Amino acid sequence: MTAKPALSRLGPGSIPARAGIGLRAEHYDAFLETRPPVGWLEVHSENYFGAGGKPLHYLERIRTHYPLSLHGVGLSIGSTDPLDRRHLGKLKELIRRFEPTLVSEHLSWGSVGGRYFNDLLPLPYTEEALYHMVARVAQVQDRLGRPLLIENPSSYLQYVESTIPEWEFLTELAERTGCGVLLDVNNIYVSARNHGFDADAYLRAIPRHVVREIHLAGFTVNRFEDGEILIDSHNRQVWPAVWALYRRAVQRFGQIPTLIEWDTDLPELAVLVDEARRADAILEERHAQAA
Amino acid sequence: MPRLRELQLGFAAALLDGDGDGFDRHIRAAGLSSARRLQVYRHNTVLSLTGALAAVYPVVRRLVGEEFFQYAAAQYIKRHPSRSGDLHEFGEHFPLFLQSFPPTAGLIYLPDVARLEWAYHQVFHAASQRTLDLAALAQVPAERQGELRFRLHPAARLLASAFPILRIWQVNQDDFGGDSTVDLAEGGVKLLIVRRENLDIEFETLADGEFSLLRALAGNGDFATACEQALATQPTLDLPACFHRHVLRGALVDFFLPNA
Repeated sequence: MTAKPALSRLGPGSIPARAGIGLRAEHYDAFLETRPPVGWLEVHSENYFGAGGKPLHYLERIRTHYPLSLHGVGLSIGSTDPLDRRHLGKLKELIRRFEPTLVSEHLSWGSVGGRYFNDLLPLPYTEEALYHMVARVAQVQDRLGRPLLIENPSSYLQYVESTIPEWEFLTELAERTGCGVLLDVNNIYVSARNHGFDADAYLRAIPRHVVREIHLAGFTVNRFEDGEILIDSHNRQVWPAVWALYRRAVQRFGQIPTLIEWDTDLPELAVLVDEARRADAILEERHAQAA
Repeated sequence: MPRLRELQLGFAAALLDGDGDGFDRHIRAAGLSSARRLQVYRHNTVLSLTGALAAVYPVVRRLVGEEFFQYAAAQYIKRHPSRSGDLHEFGEHFPLFLQSFPPTAGLIYLPDVARLEWAYHQVFHAASQRTLDLAALAQVPAERQGELRFRLHPAARLLASAFPILRIWQVNQDDFGGDSTVDLAEGGVKLLIVRRENLDIEFETLADGEFSLLRALAGNGDFATACEQALATQPTLDLPACFHRHVLRGALVDFFLPNA
């Protein structure tokens, strides 16, 4: 690979305490042409694992204008299979090349016995699973030479075997490994509705100092004759109830960089920029109070 | 209490193999049935993998229709599960799968159309490479030129088919206008799929001898043998012109002389 200039010298560095949006291929040109006033961008790391071509070309150009966060969806960090060294190697190379401010993964697993589901599957919240996740997060942080953020997933089932509430599991993981928490407020809302826990109690249980990033997205409600389930579908605007929960999260955690995620049925870029503006307004309210 | 690994293996079996019997007992009963809860994950997995296949194989999808494509994808996912957390690596065996898939046996050209789409996908994500150093090549002594080995651009693939797969690909692009009938009798095609420096991907149809030359060089054959093979395939080939064109247009990107 040809040597690239260090991007920190070309482009912006740290993620500001503002709203950012997820960068998707459909918006590459719109980003370069209109340079919308969003604070930062996040991409799915795996979308840039190729050796060359358009994805890396565009990311390099867009990166010079915005701070960047790398969000992994495929590392399968919670799996009991050995960590995929090739995957980690590609992630490390991507980090070297693009100098992201934040690098995140999920509190989940996505493969076992060599088969991948390319989905975020739930972990049982047990002492054994906690011990396993602590070791795995530490291993990845060692390999990458930097701290990770770990995101709470949306979940659609709970294991009979679970003995630890998710908020405690996540907090323990952060305290024992030094990783940060990427708090997905939509996921908290979705899981709280699906499993009948109190979303605000979740927020109160997370220590203030571990939260480094917040995610917001839209969910879908699937209704059946025996009940309903909320699906973290990333295909629409943030729901009012989630905005309200977000406002309370910002009250508690302060001005935290917040990402608008939208992955399917992607709208015009302007719609995402508007969502980011709404998040910015809530962050600014908090700033005004603090001042 | 089952170990984490057993739970994950059980979950995987319930998800991919439809072997959900018994896994229910690990799912907390509340409102919706365990079967519905598992179904959400099964649906998400199939959706994500089918989406990845559809992104690589849009022409196959258009040829067989959305409903059948989903059915074929579901069968493919079971037979060739994803082996990577990077979805771009999923779908490599789809052409071979289609070849031995009884419902598509009548569409004899379909596996080769799929090969074309996989090659395009690989070319799209392959590494970039500087063009060949012509000045350095000119310094190779004439008596050693026959020993030269060349390298095909990492973002280039050669593909031969007995069917008019390029025409099939072209008439099935969203922006295609004009007569979209394809006569299978128009015969096969030999193709170079290559990404140019501006990142656009182009198809070049190659004459028999030209294809033979590039395939021999891509297979690490020496220049002399590759030329012999090309001329044996097509005695009328203008070999120097053909060679220069592929160097200048960037299909051949590097060369070396094996140690004497």
